[in-house]
Amino acid sequence: MTVFKGFLKILNKCKGIVIMYTVMLLFFGGFTISTSDENSVNFSEDKPDILIINNDENSGITKNLISYIKENSNIIKIDNDEEKINDALFYRDINYVIYIPKNYRIDFLDNKNPKIEIKKVNDYNSSYANMILEKYLKVANIYKSEIDNENILIEKINDTLDEDVNVNITEKQNKSSLERMTFYYNFCNYSLLASIIYIVCLILSSFKNEKISKRTIISSMNYKKYNRILLLSSMLFAVCLWILYVILSFILIGDTLITLNGLGYIINSFVFTICALVIALFIGNLVTNKNAINGIVNVVALGSSFLCGSFVPVEFLPDSVLTVAHIFPSYYFIQNNEMLEKIKITSFGDLSKLFPNILIMITFIVIFIVIINIISKNKRKIG
Amino acid sequence: MFKHQFKYTLKTLFKSKSLIFWTYAFPIILGTFFYLAFSNIENSEKLDVIDIAVVETNEYNEDLVYVETFNRLSDDDNEDKMFNIKYVNEDKAKELLNKGKITGYFILKDKPSIYVKENGINETIFKSVVEEINNTKNMINTLSEEKIKGELIKGNQNIDYEKLYNEIISKINNYKSNIQNVSNDNLSYTMIEFYTLIAMACLNGAILSIIAINNVLPNMTGIGKRVGVSPVNKFKLILSSTLASYIVELLGLIILFIYTIFVLKVDYGSNLPLIILLALIGSFAGITLGILVATIFKLNDNAKTGILISFTMLGCFFSGMMGITMKYIIDKNIPIINKLNPANMITDGFYSLYYYDTLDRFYFNVISLLIFSGLMIIISFISLRGQKYDSI
Repeated sequence: MTVFKGFLKILNKCKGIVIMYTVMLLFFGGFTISTSDENSVNFSEDKPDILIINNDENSGITKNLISYIKENSNIIKIDNDEEKINDALFYRDINYVIYIPKNYRIDFLDNKNPKIEIKKVNDYNSSYANMILEKYLKVANIYKSEIDNENILIEKINDTLDEDVNVNITEKQNKSSLERMTFYYNFCNYSLLASIIYIVCLILSSFKNEKISKRTIISSMNYKKYNRILLLSSMLFAVCLWILYVILSFILIGDTLITLNGLGYIINSFVFTICALVIALFIGNLVTNKNAINGIVNVVALGSSFLCGSFVPVEFLPDSVLTVAHIFPSYYFIQNNEMLEKIKITSFGDLSKLFPNILIMITFIVIFIVIINIISKNKRKIG
Repeated sequence: MFKHQFKYTLKTLFKSKSLIFWTYAFPIILGTFFYLAFSNIENSEKLDVIDIAVVETNEYNEDLVYVETFNRLSDDDNEDKMFNIKYVNEDKAKELLNKGKITGYFILKDKPSIYVKENGINETIFKSVVEEINNTKNMINTLSEEKIKGELIKGNQNIDYEKLYNEIISKINNYKSNIQNVSNDNLSYTMIEFYTLIAMACLNGAILSIIAINNVLPNMTGIGKRVGVSPVNKFKLILSSTLASYIVELLGLIILFIYTIFVLKVDYGSNLPLIILLALIGSFAGITLGILVATIFKLNDNAKTGILISFTMLGCFFSGMMGITMKYIIDKNIPIINKLNPANMITDGFYSLYYYDTLDRFYFNVISLLIFSGLMIIISFISLRGQKYDSI
């Protein structure tokens, strides 16, 4: 009990750290761009964010061009200030800017094919916005060479562009809440690793303080019992943290956790929590300098989070990075989360799809336990 | 005395392993993580060649507009290649779609239709291209009608339909759009991450000056007490400690710059003298921030460092380190925060060198940093001036 009390005392002292990582999890893991929840059977197009700066009068063909762009995109309103526009473009608040020049309508009707200036970035939304504009201009200019009356021209353009293609969707599934769940649990990788390693290492190093360990060694307490209590207390802390994070995910995202997919997330994160715990014990056994712990926590937690796809979605990571990431347990944890987003689990049997990655995590756990035992055996002597 | 103090401050700072880790090694490690994680983001946001299938029906093979356009869009020699096309029968197309091998498939029976698995940008572009082909067909029809009408009105009964059709086709094919891209080439937004990294490194230099100043404050350290009773000009002492920590910081910054430029290929723009100027002033702001924290808080080293790191990280958070959009959101909605935030002054300074041709914004940031440093110095000076200790 003395050991456990000591454990709690130190834990109480560094509760700020746990709170900090939890707040980060809530902020970054809970706050995701709200994906549209509509579960419609119809195809809905992606729409690029376009800003139109119209220097011409809003009538006739100019008006028609603008309304066509409006129909096919999200029009973003930004003050007509070049610096603000440039900033918005740089930070991808808008994908595409169209500057309609002065006298566009008159020049267009004069068959001059007037120049339109645009600004764009290099992503697919910009490319798509470009396609929309090109499409309209092509139809408009070609018709213009044959048709002189502006009203008839506009009517013909709209008729031609109106023609819709039949789009059929073969799969209807509401993915958004699973997406959020995966995002949350992927971020958990960082919070779990950082707080468990930090706290456990800090506590172990406090107990390993030379004066304190000399006192415990000569005390009547069996060292095996002492080690066991320390181990169990660390485990208790890790499991409590895991339960807290699971409850938080339920509060933030809701019902999805009660489905079988949700069970998958729970099991997966539990195994990973244990994994984080043994990593923490391993580091705690190696390093006793309190100042060094802070650095090591940051490097280990940030490193495996960046490289395995906890912060940046896995599909954006270069292949070479993902190959290296195989050496971290986090990789397998995150792979399982990604899998849970993509497949629907309908029976308990389906959960076996998670087993290969879980098995690898368990292997990591076993390997670390063996190493910890070897290290602590060699370190028992104090000079 | 100045030299002596200078030398020993340098020695103390270089000998502290954790100081050197946080000011030298940590930014480099974090930068490497950024590089590994972000290097591919912008590439994967570019439009890829899309895998699709076309179902070969009789209607399709007879429809020259579709056949030719799809051939052109999937031609390997075409610069604007958009699709990898598999020509298959309907069952095979369904199978490919279900396995996720293709984005969707096109089938022409009565009406043109496409089948896709889900909503998304590739699906949208696929649809848009098919619509465009459809539009072209429509245009051909409309233009033919117009032309025939025109010929008939002229009283011409013998119309050469083939010639007319060819005229229309060549008109459509020869159309050239007149769109000019006037945007800046430097649009890589992940650069912001590295700029915040430099900002963090500059401001974390404050840890160095905290330690250096703490060593001359009598109420902080034993060394400080001894220094305090010595008959030496205290202003000189503080000046030399500050200078030493500034030099230690600059050395770290030089290493960081060399690493980010040559290994991580970070683009700081082309104006080297101004980059150096910004780095010098940014790290100076860091040092003065450290002096302020060291003098106004009566706490031990660790607590002071803790306060400083929280401040720096919060500043970096607002300037986009943990999500680039955050900088934009703050700049746009609550600009005052970032106008007062030294981390953002540095980040924004590099951003304006990289992205803007004009230097107004850059100089605004530089001047803000100078004002910030000046304020830090004045406040520290007031709080340090005439300090007397009856008992410690």
